[in-house]
Amino acid sequence: MADEMKTVLVVDDEPDARDYLTTVLEDNGFATVIAKDGSDAIAKLEEATPDLISLDITMPEKSGVSVYRKLKEDERLKNIPVIIITGVSDEFQKFISTRRQVPPPDGYISKPVDADAFMKMVGELIG
Amino acid sequence: MSSPFQQYFEEMPCYLTVQDRDFRIIDANKHFRQDFGDFEGRYCYQVYKQRSDRCEVCPVARTFRDGQSHEEEEQVCTDRGVDLSVIVNTTPIRNEAGEITAVMEMSTDITHIKNMERLLRKSEQHHHLLFNEVPCYISIQDRDLNISEANLAFLKDFGNGLGRKCFEAYKHRGEPCAPCPVQEAFEDGQLHTREEAVRSRDGTNRNVLVTAAPIRNPQGEITHVMEMSADITQVRDLEDRLTQLGLLVGSVSHGLKGLLNGLAGGVYLVNSGFKKNNQQRVEKGWATVQRNATRIQSMVSDILYYAKDRVPSWEPLSASEVAEEVCNQSELRAKELNLELVTAFDSEAGDFEADAQGVRAMLSNLVENSMDACRMDEKKSEHTVKVGVQGFTDHVQFEVEDNGVGMDEETRDKVFTLFFSSKGTGTGLGLFISDRIATAHGGSVDLESEPGVGTRFVVKLPRKRPPDVEVEPDEADLAEMEALRG
Repeated sequence: MADEMKTVLVVDDEPDARDYLTTVLEDNGFATVIAKDGSDAIAKLEEATPDLISLDITMPEKSGVSVYRKLKEDERLKNIPVIIITGVSDEFQKFISTRRQVPPPDGYISKPVDADAFMKMVGELIG
Repeated sequence: MSSPFQQYFEEMPCYLTVQDRDFRIIDANKHFRQDFGDFEGRYCYQVYKQRSDRCEVCPVARTFRDGQSHEEEEQVCTDRGVDLSVIVNTTPIRNEAGEITAVMEMSTDITHIKNMERLLRKSEQHHHLLFNEVPCYISIQDRDLNISEANLAFLKDFGNGLGRKCFEAYKHRGEPCAPCPVQEAFEDGQLHTREEAVRSRDGTNRNVLVTAAPIRNPQGEITHVMEMSADITQVRDLEDRLTQLGLLVGSVSHGLKGLLNGLAGGVYLVNSGFKKNNQQRVEKGWATVQRNATRIQSMVSDILYYAKDRVPSWEPLSASEVAEEVCNQSELRAKELNLELVTAFDSEAGDFEADAQGVRAMLSNLVENSMDACRMDEKKSEHTVKVGVQGFTDHVQFEVEDNGVGMDEETRDKVFTLFFSSKGTGTGLGLFISDRIATAHGGSVDLESEPGVGTRFVVKLPRKRPPDVEVEPDEADLAEMEALRG
């Protein structure tokens, strides 16, 4: 069974937010890997390729926007579905609208995250 | 008088009288009779001025005296009670021997002219009043940019600028501004409007909206330009405040969403823990709820501190006691985060004059910040926040040190900036307010930090209240802060 579990990389600088999402995902049968900021996320992605990425935007070190850009430039990673988790509702949309060459993410979830809505989106993308 | 002259006398469009030495009217023309009635047996001063004796100043008397013609401006009243302004001209009438036997007095009605003069004078006064009292600066410049006229508001704030160059008076510059709306108005005859920053003679900077309007002579040539400057400093200040408010709302909204997300996570853990009968999960969830609720409370307190701009309420404080209070409050959170809160208080640190609420809020923010830095650090297995107090001759020193994530150079540079936060749940208010509180006490907050190693805040507060800070405590604010801090 373990081999069949899909893995989600949860990228968030807030431990409470990481705990929340990883618990929800694990309760729903997903394996999780955590990254505490953008740089950590890049490092984790070099080690393994997750099935989905939950990406916070405002983080120290390297922001979610720059992680997203890097993902979409990487042949190995660019097709991994990404759910953007953001507390600033329009910051990512602004980024996307000013850079047409970057494809839009697969989903947005606003903080505070609704566990059911989050899992519905995850299910639709990789369920 | 011969007949043709009698006719001219009769028809003259003015009041004509002939008077003897007693000012008795011995002849008068038709125009006089129409407006003043019969003259026989009446005296000039009775008819014209309804007086019982002669006037003090009398051109007829002067003509009798010196034989010359005289002119006076007088007020007279017709027999129907109409007041008239007249120009009185007198001329002697002589007999064949050259002796003055009578004086002819010609009174020309100038009431309309006088009324127009009055209106003109009133209008001039009115315009003068408007020019002076209008709530903006007005100056009038010639082609060389010399100020030839200025209103009271200008004179009050920029001194007597008459004869000076406008760029000297308004901006303390040595050469014309570029671009210059006055020169533009001279060039194209159009209105030119521009926002400028000027400095009054007391050194106050003001934002003004300048409109330059050409003034033409009757030939249509532009001889001067009127420069009208409306003070919009308050509008700009308001805009700055609105911008800050917008940033505050954005920043608070972002921070609050992060904390609400933490709360939602805590609630999820509690609920799912109950469902799964997992006591450990319930406890972990409840701790998360408590932690985020406390942080929301602290955030609201910071927002109030920022929004109210409250003034310090000074009292003698024990440096070690105030630090101990803050550490006691933070102990629970330290336990939750599984970090060690170490205190190193010098019992001889002594007292200092300060605002207790302010110092508590400041230290609390620094300790919270250090605990957050530890919470976010996953590289070290053990974390410590040390709070120290030391006493010096003229100041007390607080130190808050952690071995958390630390800050890079960019973060260190911005850490006290309003709305700057490197945390997902920060508002960017806490350290800004801490710095402001220290400054309000005449003190300082400094920091040393290294990524991956940790951060050390050093607060120095003078023992004595700074002499220029004279303020009254705001009881309502204190009560509100007290209630919020529980």
